[in-house]
Amino acid sequence: MSNSKIWQCLTCEFVYSEATGLPEEGIPPGTAWEDIPEDWLCPDCAMGKDDFVMQEIQNASQSF
Amino acid sequence: MKPTIIIGAGHAGLTLAREIRALDKAMPITIVNQDPIQAYYKPNLSKALSMNKSAEQLIMKQIEALKRDLGAELLEYTSVLKISSEKKCIVCHAKGPDNKAQETFELPYENLILATGASPIELPINGASGNVVSVNTLQDYIQFREMIKDKKQILIIGAGFVGCEFASDLSSNGYQVDVIDRENWPLEKVIPERLGAEIKHAISKNGVNWHFQSTIDEIVKEKRGTLKAYLSNGSTIQSDVIISAIGLSPNIQLAKDSGLVTSRGIVVDEYSRTSCCTIYALGDCVEYDGQPLPFIAPATLAAKALANTLTGNKIKRILPPQPVAIKIANCPIVLCPPKTKEGSWQVSGDGQDLEVAFFNNKQELCGFALSGQKISLKGEYLSRYSKPKINGSVLPHASGIN
Repeated sequence: MSNSKIWQCLTCEFVYSEATGLPEEGIPPGTAWEDIPEDWLCPDCAMGKDDFVMQEIQNASQSF
Repeated sequence: MKPTIIIGAGHAGLTLAREIRALDKAMPITIVNQDPIQAYYKPNLSKALSMNKSAEQLIMKQIEALKRDLGAELLEYTSVLKISSEKKCIVCHAKGPDNKAQETFELPYENLILATGASPIELPINGASGNVVSVNTLQDYIQFREMIKDKKQILIIGAGFVGCEFASDLSSNGYQVDVIDRENWPLEKVIPERLGAEIKHAISKNGVNWHFQSTIDEIVKEKRGTLKAYLSNGSTIQSDVIISAIGLSPNIQLAKDSGLVTSRGIVVDEYSRTSCCTIYALGDCVEYDGQPLPFIAPATLAAKALANTLTGNKIKRILPPQPVAIKIANCPIVLCPPKTKEGSWQVSGDGQDLEVAFFNNKQELCGFALSGQKISLKGEYLSRYSKPKINGSVLPHASGIN
């Protein structure tokens, strides 16, 4: 699991975990951040991925 | 060098400061705000109970962290009395947290940005004043949480985005909730009846009483402290707390007093510039193409474009279709409100898993809503927009995520 990363949206603090993915949005568990399509939008606030707002937090499953 | 001054430290104002700072380390920025300055995500106010968060836990950054991260001067508890566009200065009145540090002063600006937000529309109902609360800011929410402690029954006026989310959040956390709306189903302005019925059904699982096609004539505070709403159909609703969620009205008074062109909101061009060339406006206080858009995404996108413009790279604001998530227990919804009323809905799916699409008279997709398992189709729907030209640019959504 040590390579599984967590990314967080700066605007709404939505957390994307590579380990869990987002099955409800059609993104299976284990999907790496770089494999998420570039036109993907944050499920909460609709900001874009490469548009700046997702942020790598740490290599752990813990969020705050 | 005179600072860029931002009036308002809500999402629009703070995002603009962050975006300017990302592009320009040196530009002096001052933010003036009449309330305390704290960063929080406003859509969380109507779902904090379900997130297991107190009002204070919704704060993402306190003022000290914001000062450090934004490299900006932050003036809280400070209101703006006047804008003098000829002198390029604003007149401020600081009152301090306890109204003790009263002081009036002028601040010169290089560029001025109005991010004054929007305020709840007042209910034109006898007895509403003092008995009905609106929850539009973190400060409102802190008071609201105090107010509902040890209380049981809550009446929500308005079954729109905020009303529905509050109904779901409160009812799934032990409150008895009534919702009243003059329309026929939840979110009637932006979704068809079939989906409205599913939303109603999903929220009802926790025991919400709906009162559609109903209005309140009068609210009376009873001796025991409870509130009684008299409906125009003759019935009554008893409650401990009444929330009004009937919508927001852009805060345009300061702009108006300063001679800027306003309509429903402050009127801006595609560079977010008002009728005065050194004054800009963005967020809930403006209207975009004649419409206020009190959502997070348009404010963020406008702030990003404006940050570029203010730092010398003049770019237009582009607002592609933005899906809005509505958090309802057991029935997640994603919706992209139709931009036109001319057209019709097409509905497919079963039970809670619905896809509804709005097509204009040329059969172009103009809006959609997805619920339950169908929200996985969001990317596909966004890619189906027939790439209308907005401000001369093609929408950036090229493909779906399936």
